[in-house]
Amino acid sequence: MHISDGVLSAPVIAAGWIVTLFFIALTIRSTMKKYDIVEQIPKFSVMTAAFFVVSLIHIPVGPTSVHPMLNGLIGIVLGPIAYVSMFVGLILQAFLFQHGGVTTIGVNAAMVGIPAMIAYYLFMKGYERGISEKTLGFMCGAFAIALAAILLVFVLLSTGQEFSGLARVAAVAHLPLIVIEGILTGAIVTYLAKVKPELLPKKMKK
Amino acid sequence: MSYPVIDTYSTLDSILHRFDPRAKLITFTILIFSFAFITELVVALLAVIFSIILIFISRIPLHFVYISLKFPALFIFMIIVVMAFTVQGSPLIGLGYVSITIEGLYIGALIFLRAIASLILAFLMLATSRFDEIIKAMYSLKIPNILIQMITFSYRYIFVLLGEFFTMKRSMYTRGFKMKLNQYSLNIIGNMIGMLLVKSYERGEKVYRSMLSRGYTGNPRLFTDFRMVMADYMLSSVLLLIAFSVQLFPFVISNL
Repeated sequence: MHISDGVLSAPVIAAGWIVTLFFIALTIRSTMKKYDIVEQIPKFSVMTAAFFVVSLIHIPVGPTSVHPMLNGLIGIVLGPIAYVSMFVGLILQAFLFQHGGVTTIGVNAAMVGIPAMIAYYLFMKGYERGISEKTLGFMCGAFAIALAAILLVFVLLSTGQEFSGLARVAAVAHLPLIVIEGILTGAIVTYLAKVKPELLPKKMKK
Repeated sequence: MSYPVIDTYSTLDSILHRFDPRAKLITFTILIFSFAFITELVVALLAVIFSIILIFISRIPLHFVYISLKFPALFIFMIIVVMAFTVQGSPLIGLGYVSITIEGLYIGALIFLRAIASLILAFLMLATSRFDEIIKAMYSLKIPNILIQMITFSYRYIFVLLGEFFTMKRSMYTRGFKMKLNQYSLNIIGNMIGMLLVKSYERGEKVYRSMLSRGYTGNPRLFTDFRMVMADYMLSSVLLLIAFSVQLFPFVISNL
């Protein structure tokens, strides 16, 4: 999923950083307006650490294994500030595990963060309509990873035509992940709705 | 799966270990960005050799370098393979439908070398300083305070939650759980992740209250005693010179 250092061209990297810095400033500012940031920092950090730990689970797929990214779930649980959470997660991943690259943190954060934010709004809309948590979780989880894969293909193609083959391979590799993440997100959201509903966005009553 | 222990060997003594963390953060970041955009294969090879020399200078045991970089390097190597087969160009080796092209191999190798050089530098930057020193350096470089605190606290709680996660995993396996790719397994894993999130959420509340009771106001108190000495300026200049010359090289060549 992550794009490593040295793959993308300078303009794409720069665009990724600009998008990411914009969204970070925006989401942190809007969170500060609504909540007390002193209260948010510890809670946010513990959840970010939890998602980081979750991304270390390996699920066997044929001869290899994949790890869940759950960007849809992060979006549902944290709301728009999920973008910052994933940015922090990517920084820690790049420096603690040397996974994902340093220069590409901006692009990678945009690829997983933007779908996460959209997944949050989709979940709220679906919740208002009264769709069950399981279906909604599946849809948001699958959607978030599918959009991330589309963005990945887009990023690779915008770097150069010679990456079309790599983009195709990456897209195919994401297909099983879409189903896996969908089922996982559905299961987690169902569980949270039963055990700790306040972790999910509030159900609006008409 | 194990704990991320990047700064295990941060207590050794070498030029890189003694390097001022602030200067290290800046120069290494510039070097990483410079190496990631090298355009010539020869220069990229030199960059990798330079990074490997830095490993030896840092005196970090090679087996630690190996276990830390093995999987990331393998992952990047896959890009060479895919590029070699998919880029259009003059075929080098034909294998029925697919063929390895020279152009593909060239781009693949260039990406691989650039990525490896950046990878080693990122590894060295963190492996030669204690993580809290890097954090202090980030504060003194005026990176927004909220962002640094989020990084610091997330980093700390990764270890706590990993411990929690190992316990849950062990108890699941003792009850006979087997990880397979089917809906049942995914549901069980989903429940486990849900439980981890619930526990983390509750822990977050507790952490907030305990921090509040110790007088946390959202502002860090720092006791830093970083002092740049002559050696720091020298090393910074050398590294920056390399970063710039790597980027200037193609222009020099084309003007000859």
